[in-house]
Amino acid sequence: MSFLRTLIPFDIAAGLTVTGRYFGKVFFSANRKKVRAQIKHFTQEYPEVPVRLQPRFRGRLTLLKDEQGEIKCVCCLACEKICPTEVITIEKGKKEGRKMPYPVRYDFEMERCIFCEFCVESCGFDSIILNHQFELAAYNREDFSLGMDGVAQNMFEPSPVGRHSVAED
Amino acid sequence: MFKNEEMEINLGPQHPSTHGVLRVKLRLDGETVTKCTPVIGYLHRGVEKICENKTYFQGQVWTDRLDYVAAISNNLGWAEGVEKLFGIEVPRRAKYIRTLLTEQNRLASHLLWLATHALDIGAMTVFLYAFREREYLLDLFEAFCGARLTTTAFRIGGLREDLPPGFIKDAQVFQDRFLHCLYEYEELLTENRIWKKRTVGVAKLNAEDCIALGVTGPVLRAAGVPYDIRKAFPNAAYAEMDFEIPTRTEADTYARYLVRLAEMRQSHRIIQQCLDGLPEGPVMAKIPKILRSEVNEIYHPIEAPKGELGYYFVSEKGGTMPYRMHVRAPSFVNLQALPKMIEGRLLADVIAAIGTLDVVLGEIDR
Ligand code: SF4
Ligand code: SF4
Repeated sequence: MSFLRTLIPFDIAAGLTVTGRYFGKVFFSANRKKVRAQIKHFTQEYPEVPVRLQPRFRGRLTLLKDEQGEIKCVCCLACEKICPTEVITIEKGKKEGRKMPYPVRYDFEMERCIFCEFCVESCGFDSIILNHQFELAAYNREDFSLGMDGVAQNMFEPSPVGRHSVAED
Repeated sequence: MFKNEEMEINLGPQHPSTHGVLRVKLRLDGETVTKCTPVIGYLHRGVEKICENKTYFQGQVWTDRLDYVAAISNNLGWAEGVEKLFGIEVPRRAKYIRTLLTEQNRLASHLLWLATHALDIGAMTVFLYAFREREYLLDLFEAFCGARLTTTAFRIGGLREDLPPGFIKDAQVFQDRFLHCLYEYEELLTENRIWKKRTVGVAKLNAEDCIALGVTGPVLRAAGVPYDIRKAFPNAAYAEMDFEIPTRTEADTYARYLVRLAEMRQSHRIIQQCLDGLPEGPVMAKIPKILRSEVNEIYHPIEAPKGELGYYFVSEKGGTMPYRMHVRAPSFVNLQALPKMIEGRLLADVIAAIGTLDVVLGEIDR
C-alpha cells in the first residue's frame, strides 16, 4: 500500500473519487423530480429559467407614480446631489392643479450609473426605486439615456430587453 | 554554433493566469528566470483623486472597485476610517453584522483564490467546487445589500438596513455545509502529489524579506510571523471574538495554501460566534446629515483577505470631502515581492507565485 501511494495515478484516483461522488449524485437525480427536490442543484438554467433575485436587488432606477397617476417626485434634488456619478438631471417646473413642484425633466444616464442605491436612500418622498431588472445591455448608446417622455426613454417602465436575447429564440 | 542568449518575454497583460491586467517582463535564460519586472497601471482610474472630489458618504462606492473580490472588506475600512476621523461610535449590533459580513467576504475571497490558484497550477476540479460555495456567499450578500460584487454594504455610522429576514437561517445553512466542503478541497489537494510537486518549496519568501518588503497577510503568516490586524489593532467586533492566527514556517506556496485553508476555518468560527451572539439594538448611530471635518489626519488599517488594507485621510476645516485620501493596498505592496520570489527559478513557477500572492489588479492600479 505504501508503494501504491508513491504513484501519481493513486492521487488522480483520489481526486476522481470526489468528482465521481458528485457525478453520481447529479447523474442519478437529474431526471427524477422527486430526488431532484432533495438535492440542490446549484446551476441555474438561465436564460431559459428566470433567475431568482433577492428582494433587495439593485437594478435600474425607476420613477414611481402614486394612485392618481401623478409623479411622486417633488424636485427636492436630493438624489441629484447625492449621486456619486452625477447621472441624474432634474428640471423643476410647475403643473396646473399641483401644489408641489413638478419635474419637467428627469434625465438619467444609465451608462454611468453604478447601481449604488444612494439616490433611493436619499429620497425622503419614496418617489424612486431601483427595480429588479438586470438585462440592461443595448446596442445603441442613446438607449441608455432615459428620460420622462418618448417611447425609448421611459423612466416608469423597465427598459426593453435587447431584441437578440437568447431567451426569444 | 549555438548562441547563448537571454530572451525577454512578456507575461500578460492578457494572460489568463495573471488575474487581471498584470504584465510581467521576464528575462529568461532557457527556462530560468533571471530578471522579473512587474509592469502595472493598465487599470488605473485615479480612485484616490476622485475620492478627493466626493463627499465622505459618496466615496465608499469607489472602494468597492479596488479589490472587487473582497469589496465588503474595503467598505469596512472606508466606513471605519471615516468614523475614526469624525469620532463616531457605531452601535454594537452594527459592529457584529459588519464582522459577520467581512468574514464571509474573507471566505469568498479565499475561495476565489483557491479556485483560480488551483486552476492555474492545473487542478481543475477544485475550481468549480470552490465557486459553488462562493456563489452561495454572494447570494447572501445580494440578500443583505442588493449587489453581489460592488456591495457598498456599510454606511458611515453603521448600516443602512438590518439583516433581511431569513438571512441568519441561510447563513447557518452555509455554516453547516462549509466544513465538509473544506474537507473536500483538502481531500483533493493537500496530499495530492501533483499539487505538492508544484507548490512545495516554490516561490519562497522568508520572514526577513517579507518584513523588509512590507508584505502582509497570509504570505507573511506563512513565513512564521503571527501578525494579524484583527488581533494587533482590533477593529469592528474582533476584540470580542475568539480565534487564532494560523502560521506556518516553511514560507513556500504550499505553506501559504495551508495557512489560507486554516484561515477559512477561523473565519468560519468567527461567523458562528457572530451568528450566535448577535446583540439586539439599532444598527445606525445618530450622525449629522452633512459631515464637516476639522483639520485632522488619520490612518486606519484593517485586515483584508490579502493583507493590511489601510485608509489614510487628511481633512481640512469645514470640508465635506477628504483633502487627501490614500489607500495602502495589500496587493500593491505584496506584488513587489514577486521578483524576489521567482528570480533564479523556472518559468512555470511564475504562475504559481502570482497565484500564491493573490493579487487583484483593481487594487494595485487603483
Ligand atoms: S444608483 Fe447610484 S449612480 Fe445610479 S442614479 Fe442612483 S445614486 Fe446615481
Ligand atoms: S430625491 Fe426623490 S423627490 Fe427629491 S428630486 Fe429625487 S426623486 Fe424627486
